[in-house]
Amino acid sequence: MGKRTVLYDTHVKLGAKMVEFGGWDMPVQYSGIIDEHNTVRNAAGLFDVSHMGQIFVSGFDALNFLQKVVPQDISKLSAGSAVYCQLPYETGGLVDDLIIYRLEENTYLVIANASNVEKDFDWLLKNSGNFDVILKNSSEEFSMFALQGQNAGKILGKLSIPEDIQPAFFTIKPLEISNIPVYISRTGYTGEDGFEVIVKNENAVFLWNLLLESGKEFGLKPIGLGARDTLRLEAALMLYGNDLNELTTPVEAGLKWSIPVDKGEDYNGKSVILSQINSGTDKKLIGFEMIDRAIARHEYEIYFGGEKVGIVTSGGFSPTLNKNIGMGYIATKYDIKLDSVIQIMVRNKLYNARVVKRPFVKKRYKIS
Amino acid sequence: MFVPEGILCSKSHEYLLEGENGVFVVGLTDYAVEQLGDIVFVELPEIGSEFAKGEVFATVESVKAASEIYMPAGGKIVEINEKIVENPEILNESPYEEGWLVKIEGENIHADSGDLLEYNDYKEEIE
Repeated sequence: MGKRTVLYDTHVKLGAKMVEFGGWDMPVQYSGIIDEHNTVRNAAGLFDVSHMGQIFVSGFDALNFLQKVVPQDISKLSAGSAVYCQLPYETGGLVDDLIIYRLEENTYLVIANASNVEKDFDWLLKNSGNFDVILKNSSEEFSMFALQGQNAGKILGKLSIPEDIQPAFFTIKPLEISNIPVYISRTGYTGEDGFEVIVKNENAVFLWNLLLESGKEFGLKPIGLGARDTLRLEAALMLYGNDLNELTTPVEAGLKWSIPVDKGEDYNGKSVILSQINSGTDKKLIGFEMIDRAIARHEYEIYFGGEKVGIVTSGGFSPTLNKNIGMGYIATKYDIKLDSVIQIMVRNKLYNARVVKRPFVKKRYKIS
Repeated sequence: MFVPEGILCSKSHEYLLEGENGVFVVGLTDYAVEQLGDIVFVELPEIGSEFAKGEVFATVESVKAASEIYMPAGGKIVEINEKIVENPEILNESPYEEGWLVKIEGENIHADSGDLLEYNDYKEEIE
């Protein structure tokens, strides 16, 4: 049995099917993955993501410390804003991928993947030696929900958080819902507009029920991890453990857009990452859709011209496109580009797929 | 859920139903399709191919994962359900009527059925 979020009993009452994920017993689905997926694309969905980790970084050297551990330029973050980051080893391979929020001048909140929280915290501690910094793993104190979809803003509006005070894209605000203090950020993992809400455990069940009840008229439903995965795959968002790991660099993963080349400070993996940005990589992440009738899945092999050229990292059925899609790493020495036809090995047979642009489904963030 | 009289179920959640002229219908139990969740892909064998009891003869994929389907009794494939290849969701909606997988024939089907469970016993077993 895995760890339980404070909402475990609530999920069971809602009819969720519970599965183990990253050491946690989590709802994989309630009404069904495809129905939940479409609910988020067409209305709004509420996810319990309390398994994710909250690590607070504060102190005089908080900024300098974070500059040392991520390739992103944290000095550009104003209070209340957020940035998508990676946490590289010296090799450029990844400990994790993260969102870092600057809450106040010297206080940052790091959101870590569920199965990596302890590994990340240990890595941060290990790197903190020369810095005047306080690291606090508060994951056990907080619950976190994602409220995602085009109707998410209307639901917050109904809870006395009107549009003009809702946080803008990739920012975070301390707010109150029904007198409960929360942090609300405009971030997510679905490719839709939406929010993430961080709340103390003791208020989590009340807040979850309040959100679900208030959202009913806007089509809000609880959404499990199954649809979370199909939604993020359509948006081509990375899943650590599948698309990212200790042997993949952010440049190989196509995350070059997130890395400033002019950041002055040294950081873990900088020489590898910069040299890959300048001179290229031996492997790269591609997106593909199946031409033949077959579903590509994690760790299936990719072929081109009769040779094995790579490996699928994420794959499955796309409810929005009604197609089978996937992502994987291929060796860059082959002449594989957009529209190239590759093959995926499924149960010892090769099936054709076409290399396509990512994301597979256009993101609909509200970037004002 | 309509469950036909006389179905026999395997512990790996396939059912076998005797039809007319020595032809048997093979499919997945309602419990199996419920556990799989939304089914989005079905791969069926060629007509005429033969499988022993316990052999993998088909693959069914839900959104989450691919599952191998085992023969509840040995036999030859005489018909496959093309409709579910085009519309795999039929398996979820109607596992016993519209959503059968294959029809088989064979001399040993009765003999092979010895360890299969009647539906009520199967239900008890899985609960």
